Order: sequence, then structure tokens, then C-alpha cells
Amino acid sequence: MKSNINYRINKSLFIKGFIIFLAFLITLPLVSIIYYVAKEGFATINWNFFISVPKPVGEVGGGIANALVGSLILVVVASIIAIPVGIMCGIYLSENGENKLSYYTRLAVDILQGVPSIVVGIVIYFWVVKPTGSFSGLSGSIALSIMMLPIVIRSTEETLKLIPSTLKEAGLALGLPYYKVMIKVILPVGMSGILSGVMLSIARVAGETAPLLFTAFGNPYLNTNIAKPMQSLPLLIFNYATSPYDEWHNLAWGASLILLICILLLNLFTKLLTRRWKVQF
Amino acid sequence: MKQLEKELESIKTELINMWELVSAQVSSSRDCLTEFDKDLAREIQVKEKRVNSAELNIDQDCENVFALYSPVAVDLRFLLSILKINSNLERVGDIADGIAKYIIDADVCFKPELLTVTRIMDMFEVGTNMLKITLLGFEREDTVLARSIFKMDEVLDEINSNANANIIEYLKKYPEDLDQALYALSIIRKLERVGDQVKNIAEEIIFYIEAKVIKHRKQE
Amino acid sequence: MESPILNSQNFNAYFGNNHVVKNVSMEIPRNNVVAVMGPSGCGKTTFLRCINRMHELIAGATTSGIIELNEENVYDMHAIYVRQKIGMVFQRPNPFPNLSIYDNTIAGYKLNGIKLSKSEKDGIVESSLKKAALWKEVKDSLHKKGTFLSGGQQQRLCIARAIAMQPEILLLDEPTSALDPISTASIEELLHELKKNFTLVIVTHNMQQAARVSDKTAFFYMGELVEYDDTKQMFTNPTDTRTQNYITGRFS
Repeated sequence: MKSNINYRINKSLFIKGFIIFLAFLITLPLVSIIYYVAKEGFATINWNFFISVPKPVGEVGGGIANALVGSLILVVVASIIAIPVGIMCGIYLSENGENKLSYYTRLAVDILQGVPSIVVGIVIYFWVVKPTGSFSGLSGSIALSIMMLPIVIRSTEETLKLIPSTLKEAGLALGLPYYKVMIKVILPVGMSGILSGVMLSIARVAGETAPLLFTAFGNPYLNTNIAKPMQSLPLLIFNYATSPYDEWHNLAWGASLILLICILLLNLFTKLLTRRWKVQF
Repeated sequence: MKQLEKELESIKTELINMWELVSAQVSSSRDCLTEFDKDLAREIQVKEKRVNSAELNIDQDCENVFALYSPVAVDLRFLLSILKINSNLERVGDIADGIAKYIIDADVCFKPELLTVTRIMDMFEVGTNMLKITLLGFEREDTVLARSIFKMDEVLDEINSNANANIIEYLKKYPEDLDQALYALSIIRKLERVGDQVKNIAEEIIFYIEAKVIKHRKQE
Repeated sequence: MESPILNSQNFNAYFGNNHVVKNVSMEIPRNNVVAVMGPSGCGKTTFLRCINRMHELIAGATTSGIIELNEENVYDMHAIYVRQKIGMVFQRPNPFPNLSIYDNTIAGYKLNGIKLSKSEKDGIVESSLKKAALWKEVKDSLHKKGTFLSGGQQQRLCIARAIAMQPEILLLDEPTSALDPISTASIEELLHELKKNFTLVIVTHNMQQAARVSDKTAFFYMGELVEYDDTKQMFTNPTDTRTQNYITGRFS
């Protein structure tokens, strides 16, 4: 009997150790990616790298200023399109759990989340790029905003659903009209969760390449006009890494490191922000 | 102050008012005996109705507090003792009323000598003192005061047990005063009952404050 | 006899086809505490929520009959106006978690966009918190979040928030069921104070609570108003045998 118990204790210990090992294993890919990218990219990074545009093949130096500015503009415009629509859609879904429209909307959002990003790029190419006759930053932003929508919508919905209905009743019982209850009570209380969804979606699309291939297209020069083709970090990495020139490979490594750092910072920032806005029920 | 405390306080005030009324009734019954004042006796009978209605009011208030506040511990003992003190006081009121009735029925004035020999005046004195002291004990929640009246009750018992002999003695001297003497004897019996009632009241006070039941216990 | 502040006549409430409040007629006199008691699911909370028209917010909820506030049917008024005149305190304390104690107290004004001067605000906050017997405890931490308070304090904050709007009636839906006995006792004491300025209707499972705090008590059973009388009468000599069985705990 006693040995049986010992056997079970040891088995339990073994499984516990195995699980801890697996959990540890998960961090390995991330650590190795950061390590490798940092090792390769670090040498390229200097002040010039940030403020100059890429030089033609053969010349030394050159930077990624065009891609940095382009990425920023693309993401900001995409956010301006996606966030208000996404939040309002999320509010609708959380407030109307049962009806037909919300059922189909939710279904659509789920499917949208699963659509491959390249497909989104192609569709926007046919919808926006073709009719307007040129690749443009705007079309890229639209493609990105479509990628953002499902994340913003679902995170808003899930956040608002968790807010106790008693808060809404408290507002209504004070004689507030429904829309004021939503704007002044429910949204501020859910702000932390909504913000974290928004930041997550931004971090997600900041690294997207595929939807930009046929829309923003890329641009070797600095461009701030969203009606014109625009460079972005992932595009730059894609183009330069697949090129045959070593200088460009180095630029791609540097850009990868910058992109990685941006996204890491965005994630950290999200954590800080949500902690700050966190509302205790 | 808590609502329950307010209710208990108001019941306490009601009971104290009734207590004072009853004490006044007993004092008045003594006065109408010495003065042979039939008007005062009638007044006692009228006031007896007030005693009765006070008893009913206190009963009802206690009932409400029981029903609404489910009192426990000291509050519960307080209310239980109030209920019993209330009925004891009402009996004392009845006794004063009974004495007044004798005065009204009696034909001639009681002779001072009869009152002296039978020590009725002493009994009144002791009885009203006992009422006063227990009231004080109740107001101050002082069990020492409450206990002090047991000794006084013994005086009443003693006078009462000598009453027959005293009356016989007196009748031998004044056989024509048979009527008066019988009344006097009845009054003595009644006053002895006052002592018993007040003793019960004191026991209730001790029960309420100390949570000790001392009823039916042999005095050590 | 002064006319009652609230008068319900043949009032019915439904959830879909489910008839939950059946033909209730009762008058609520001004500055009284009226307790509504009854077993779970007897319609007492629904009836309470009909008074300030919170019932209709639930999908499929309907009503018939009238409830008059100062002889005017609340179902003819605008719901928002009704809810400003008839405040409500809920089962669980629900202060706005994103607002300070100060802002919670004047939430009814603040969130409604009613402009007040600083001194008006200060006045309302102080008097409401005083009436809710919370001022002493929070006067030094008015700008902390309302959710830092204990459950009982939060509930008193909710009462302060409701009375800051100067309602005529305050509805309390089992206000102490989520609180410990000490907090419960302090809320009960508060009700006695509040009735000087307001009319209170309190729903409670707890018979002892109904007995302790109210002037009049209504007993609901299966959606019907079985008996409605002075609390003393109800608890010493109820007329209906169902009331008798309920309050003596002989309910089967």
C-alpha cells in the first residue's frame, strides 16, 4: 500500500515538473527571436538610420525614415477608421445579446477574424486601388482597419458584458437617459478593457505585410500623402530581405529590430495603460 | 439611539408614571382613612380607571416590541419583568381602590386608638416606602435597593400576624366598635398583600438586572 | 386625512405571459416607511420596480393599471422624470466605480449634465452624506473612489446618491441583503431618520427587518397583495391566515 502511494506521489511530481518545463519552453522561441534579431540588427542602428531614406544599391548607409513615417500614418489612419466603428459595434453587440442582427453580426465578425490577410489585401485592391487608379496609403489603411475591426469589436463586447448590469440600473434609476448611461457610466468603466483591445489590434496590424502588398505597395521615398503609395516597416523588411544585396539585408535586419521593439513597447504600454484605467467593481 | 432603545425607554417612562400614580393612590387611601374623607375615596376609585388603562397600554406596548423587535438577552428580561411589574402594580392599585371602597362603605369615622393599636399607619408607612424604594431601585437599576425591601416586608408580615390578637384586645375594650374593627382587619390583610406585590416587583427587578431567579427560594 | 403620496390602483405587471403582480391596490402615505415582504418570487421586487418604471426596461415586460404619484399617473409621465422623483437603492451596493465619493454623491446631476456651482455641489454633497449618516466617516476622503468603502458604507453612499436628487420617494430593494449585521443595523437606523424627509418603500425577505423599520407592512404572496396594514397590527394580529402562517414561519 505504502509503495503504491509513493509511486503516485512520484508520478505527480514528475508530471508537475514536465508541465513547468513545457511552460518554460514556451518562452524559448520569443527569447531566441529577440536575441537573433537584436544580434543581427543592432549594428545597423544609428541616428542616421532613423532620419534618412534608403540609398540606391551600392551606396553605403541609408535608413528607414520613409518606412517609419509610412507605418505611423498607415496605422493612425487605420485606427481612425476602425476604432469608432469597432467600439460602437461592440456596444451594440453587448447591449443586444439576443436578436437576429447581433447574431449575424457576431458571426460576421468571427469569420472576418479568420479571413487571411492576403485575401483582405486583394479585396481592397479591387475595391479601392482599381477604381482610384493608383496604389495608395489610404487603401493600405483601409485594409489594416478591416484587420483591426474584429479584435476591437470582440474585446469591446467582452469587456462591456463583464460590467455588472447593476451599474446600468444605477444610472437609469437616477433618471439618466439611456445614451448618457452608455457614454458616461458604461464606457468609462469599460475603458481599460476597450483600450487594451484597441492597443492589441494596433500591435497586431503594425506588423502586417500581406494586406499592404497590393495597396500601400511601398515607396522608396519619404511620402506623407495618403493618396500616394506609401512605405511601411513590414513592407520594407519584405522587399529588402528578399533582395540580393547585403546592404539591404542589413537594413532589413535593422528594420526588423525596430519593428520588434515598437511592438514590444506597444504591448508594455497597453499593460501600463490598462492597469491605470482599471476600475474595481 | 437605536429604535429599540427608544421604545424600551418610552415603556420604562410609562411604567414609572404608573408606579407614581399607584404610590399616590396608596398614599391617598391612607389619607382618606385618617381623615375619613369619602370624597377622596371616590377620587381614588376614579383614578383606579387610569391605573387600569395604564396597565393595558404598557401591555400593548410590550406586545408590540415583542412582535416587532424580537428582543433578546437584557432587553428580553427587561420586557418580561416590565410585564410582571405592570400587573403587580395594577394589583397594588386595586388594593388602594379596595381600601377606598371600605371607607365609602363605613358608617362612622375610625377611632384613632383603633388605628394605633392595630398599627395600620405603620403598615401604610412601610408599604409606601417599599413602593418608593423599589421604584428608585428600578430607575437606577440598583439591586441593593431592591433587595433592601425584603426586610421591610417582614415588618408588614409581623404586624399582620399580630393583627388578630390586637383586634381581639381592642374589641374586648370596645365591643361596640365591631364594625370598624372588621374593616380595620380587612385593610390590614390588604396592606399585607401590598408587601407581597412589592416583593414580587423587587424579584423582577433583580431578575432583569442580574438574570437571577430568586422567586420561591428559601431566604437564607 | 392627507392624500397619499403614492397610490396604486388595480396594478398588474407581466413578464411576457407570466402574470407576476396581480391587481395590486395600495396607498402609501407620505413620510412613512412601508415594508413589502413575502417569499421569493412573490412579485414584491417587480412591484417596486414598476413604481419608478424600471420594470419596463426588461424585454417583454408589460404593465396595466395605474400608479399615481401625487395623484398623477406615473405611466403618463416621462420615465426619466419619474425616476428623478422616485429614487432607488438596489440589493447590491453599486456606486459608480470610476467616480470619487464626492462625484458619486452628485452623480445624478453630474452625469445628467446639470451645471452646479462649486458651493452648490459642496452643499448637496455634505447634506446628502449627512442625511445618509456617512459624512463623518468619509469627510476626509471625499476624493477617493467610492469602491474603497466597505459594503455598508457603499450602500449608504448609494442612498446619499439617491437622496441628493431630492426625490419624493425612495425605493429600497432588499438594501441590506448583501451586508453584514452591523452594517444592516446602521442602514436600518438610517431609515428611521430618512422618513422625516422622504417616503420610503422597502422590499425585504427579512420579516424582522420589516417589523423593525416600517410603519406599514404589505404582504405579497404569489403576485397578490394579501394584506396591507399598520406594521404593529400585522405582526400582532394579522387578519389573513396566509400572513399569519408566513410571519410565524409555518409556511408550507
